[in-house]
Order: sequence, then C-alpha cells, then structure tokens
Amino acid sequence: MIVPMNVVLGLSALLFAIGAFGFLARRNIILMFISVEIMLTAINISLAGFSQHHGNLRGQVLALFVIAIAAAEAGIGLGLLIAKNRNKSGTDVSDLIKLKW
Amino acid sequence: MGFDLATTAFYYMAGASVTSAILAVTRKSPVHCMLWVLALFMHVAGIFLILNAEFLAAVQVIVYAGAILIFYLFIVMLLDLAGEETRPRFGKHWPLAVVAGIFCIIVALLAQVEPRIAEDLSSANLAQVGEQLFGPFALPFEIISLVLLTAIIGAVVLARRRSAES
Repeated sequence: MIVPMNVVLGLSALLFAIGAFGFLARRNIILMFISVEIMLTAINISLAGFSQHHGNLRGQVLALFVIAIAAAEAGIGLGLLIAKNRNKSGTDVSDLIKLKW
Repeated sequence: MGFDLATTAFYYMAGASVTSAILAVTRKSPVHCMLWVLALFMHVAGIFLILNAEFLAAVQVIVYAGAILIFYLFIVMLLDLAGEETRPRFGKHWPLAVVAGIFCIIVALLAQVEPRIAEDLSSANLAQVGEQLFGPFALPFEIISLVLLTAIIGAVVLARRRSAES
C-alpha cells in the first residue's frame, strides 16, 4: 500500500508544529530539548515519505543521519545542562536571564 | 477500495502519534512527558514500517526509544527537580508560541506534491540501505561518525567534575 504523500506531509507538519510550540512555550529546558526531538522525528517522517514517493532510498539514508545528529545534540545539550546545574540548580529557562537586556 | 488494513493502521498510528505529541508537550511532570514521547516514538516506528522503511523503524526503536529517551530520563532523575512541578509549565508568552505553530502548519500545507507512481521499495530494504550507506554515502557516513565522536568527547568534557586546582 502506498500512503498518499500529502497525508504524510500533513502529519509531519502537524508533529513539527507541536514540537515548535513545545520548544517556544515550555520553560523546563529538558522538555525544550524533547520538543526538538519531536521536531526531528517529524522531519524523519517526511524524509521516509519522500523516499517512498520517489522510489529510492536516499531519504531513508538522510533520516539515519538526522537520527545520528539528534543523538549528538542530546549528548551535548544534556552535558551542558549538567555543567550549568553545578553552578546554578534548576531547569527553568526563565532563571537564565544574565544575557537579557 | 473497501477496507484496507494498512491504511487503517496508518491512520491509527498518525492519530495516536499526534495525540501523544500534544500530551508530551502539555503534561506537567517531566517523567510523564518522557513516557508520552516514548509512545510517540513507538507509533512513529509503526509509520516507518508502513512507509516501507523497515531499517529506519528498527533504528527508531533501538536508538531513539532505547538510547536517547533513556538518556533523557536518566538526566531527569539525576537532576534534583523537586519543586519543578509547582511552577507554571508554560511561559507567559505561550499564545505567541501557538501562533508560531499554526504558522508552521500553514507553510507546510502550502507545499503540496503531485501524486506519482513509484516503484516498490519493499523488497530487501536492509540490504539496499547498506549498499547506499557504504556506496554513494560512504563519505557522509564516516563524517557522521566523527561528529558523534566529537559529541561524545564534548559531553564528557562538559560534564566532568572540575577539581579545585583549575
């Protein structure tokens, strides 16, 4: 069965929008990272859909690279979070206002 | 057309993943959010299966749900988050975030694709992905391993406990 490409794109857009909303609205920095992961997953869905749409595998290979980048981003981001937590406890981004004008 | 099991399964997976994504960004407790994201990732793996991406589905379950999400859960439990649940979950600007999300949907809905008949991808997906990865994509594959190595070293350097002498 071939799922219509527009349906896959719509699902991907919906998930991306939910992730973008979560990234902008949440104040817990871990949940902001998780929202980024939701957005990357949405991108992977549309890459797999395009791969099926065009009948070659480049989209799936690109999605693998996106997963690798997501893993790298999670490692660096959470390492930074641990380093920051050593100086100032808490995960609320509204406490990080030193650069605020 | 009639009843098609794969189509029904796809729309179930789509609905369930959107629902669990919404719950994941709106629940109060970080651990509950993580569990909803786990549900989302499992349903997305099902969507990959229906889209003929078997290898991607396996990687989604093993790497995303198995490694990355557990990593996040470890961090949630490692950091002392007492009192975190009593704070408001959204910033005061959250209506602007809703507007940004709707804008994303509108931009994506502008992109419509002509339907076309593609050749079937379903046979021997893993072997074909392997040929792609070690054939035309060999150089990016090696570079991504370097990126991961850099990320590992960076995470260790960042999270290391600095001793008093430095």
